[in-house]
Amino acid sequence: MISKKPLQLTLAILKPHVVKSPFALQKIRDIIIDNDFKVVRSRRTIITREEAEFFYADHKGKFFYNRLVTFVCSGPSDMHVLAGHDAIVKWRELMGPTKVYQAQYLAPNTIRGTFGLSDTRNAAHGSDSPESAEQEIKIFFKDFNTTKWYQIEEPFFSLGQVRFDPKAFVHIINEVDTTKSTI
Amino acid sequence: MIGLIRSCSSALIKRSKKGASVKKPKGPKQKLKTLPEFQYPVSEASDRRLYVWGLAEHGALGLAISTKGKNNIAYTHNPRRLSFGERHKVVDLACGYGFTAFGVHSNDTNIVYGCGINTDSQLGYHVSDEKNKSGIIIDPRPVTLPLKESSTRVVGLAAGRAHLLILTDEGVFTLGNNGYGQCGRPIINNENYTKSKVVHHIPNIKGDRITAVSAGQDHSILLTEKGEVYAFGWGADGQTGLAHYRNEFKPSLVKGDLAGQNIIKVACVADCVLALSDKGKVFGWGNSEYGQLPVQGDTHQINIATEIHECQDLGHIVDIATGGSFCMILNNTGNVYVWGYGILGLGPQVQRVLKPTLIPSTLFGLNAYETNSQVSKIYCGISHLSAVTRTGDLYTWGNNKFGCLGLGHENNQFFPLKVAVGAQVQKVGCGVDHTIAICKPFV
Repeated sequence: MISKKPLQLTLAILKPHVVKSPFALQKIRDIIIDNDFKVVRSRRTIITREEAEFFYADHKGKFFYNRLVTFVCSGPSDMHVLAGHDAIVKWRELMGPTKVYQAQYLAPNTIRGTFGLSDTRNAAHGSDSPESAEQEIKIFFKDFNTTKWYQIEEPFFSLGQVRFDPKAFVHIINEVDTTKSTI
Repeated sequence: MIGLIRSCSSALIKRSKKGASVKKPKGPKQKLKTLPEFQYPVSEASDRRLYVWGLAEHGALGLAISTKGKNNIAYTHNPRRLSFGERHKVVDLACGYGFTAFGVHSNDTNIVYGCGINTDSQLGYHVSDEKNKSGIIIDPRPVTLPLKESSTRVVGLAAGRAHLLILTDEGVFTLGNNGYGQCGRPIINNENYTKSKVVHHIPNIKGDRITAVSAGQDHSILLTEKGEVYAFGWGADGQTGLAHYRNEFKPSLVKGDLAGQNIIKVACVADCVLALSDKGKVFGWGNSEYGQLPVQGDTHQINIATEIHECQDLGHIVDIATGGSFCMILNNTGNVYVWGYGILGLGPQVQRVLKPTLIPSTLFGLNAYETNSQVSKIYCGISHLSAVTRTGDLYTWGNNKFGCLGLGHENNQFFPLKVAVGAQVQKVGCGVDHTIAICKPFV
């Protein structure tokens, strides 16, 4: 059953302590794939202070703003542009409640409930709306053009004409076999 | 069926005959000769046993567990004996996030061994790591230190999220992640910690000997012979107690109510710190989002040491411990008090308790017939708690992620419950999702 609704994009970030824990990283990657997300882009990078301040601009002034910014800049994070039906809500459900100390009791089987260390070191991030997803993707994937993606790549992802590269942790569009058509 | 009953009844008859024959002087001696003889291995006073439990996937248990449990994850919810403890004289341990360090007394310079996650070189560099691509060490291997003397001994250990503090006769050595300055050396932007050989040395503080080390997830605390407390690392929650919220790489004197106090212990696993003075006063600083520290208004981050006056009326406090969202103290009569948020050991629910509240001592086995079963030491992981009695019994409670309570199941435990460890527990290390106990053999 293929829905005609186009796939939704969301930005998932796996935060520094997860990237350094091979077991947690693998388990979270398995969760992404097992839940039928397509990984459109992947990138590992240390978030710069400027990027983090821009990214968390909404939280400026809150008591946790400084620790949020300093935490995400403390080491490499994995960024993934994920595509899927209702990707935003689905990814947020898989992540679970923001505050880990509560999530471990309220939703122990979620990503944060299992792999979060503290309310700040909460394992993962996910966009909260289509607008913020587009904005957030732009911050970390500067050459990614959402409109163009929907025009060119989305049909392939929607029809499942992609293959998965587990090493790069990304789905690649199957190349159209041109040799066959010429014969 | 009938045959079984018959054999059982005949065994009963035999036993009763044996029992009846006890009174006869000659009978039992002849019988004993036919019995197999057992010679239990008698241990020496200095022998220790290591028991490990919780999540095995990180390698932090020092052994590989081949049988996978729930969700295809390798863990053990029962204490397992680690033979490393028989081969080395283990005197201390520290459990970080997915890694463990063991301090040993040895004839060579290998005085610390480590296993578990080493992706930030928190267990240092070793030639055997070259073959290892995963960044995980399954079997404990030596942590190489630049020691001057071969007689140097390990005095203390502390482990954070991805850094390790080793206190020796030659001072403190720090290894691993220094992203916030938690190793006590200048922060280098984009430093690569993979297979890093960097070991930083802090010989003393202004000439004063360092007597103890503690670590939060991303900060470090040193105690000196003068009873002064020095902190460095991540300060965003005020956990360094330096009256600011910045990173600090230089070991700096904690500010606030500690002035003039002789501090004998500092406890920390996450971002909330407790300190205990020789007079039994308790101080705290750092994160207080769950009511761990006395706060004014809606401040959740206390950046200077603050005395917790509520502990004053609870007798002479002799031990302290903190988790991620709660605190625990012990007084000299063996009474254990808890406060904060989580499963605190007070009842069948997740709670928020703002004042130190007594856990009934009967829950630790103290009653009219067992008057020696007083709690003598307390320990906390980020979300689990434990207490050791004078008799060497270990009790655990709290969040039971990956069976880290060692109770034989994975359900959260709402009251202290005795762990089935086949030895006298002496010291406990609580990590994020694993627990290790140094024990003394029963015989």
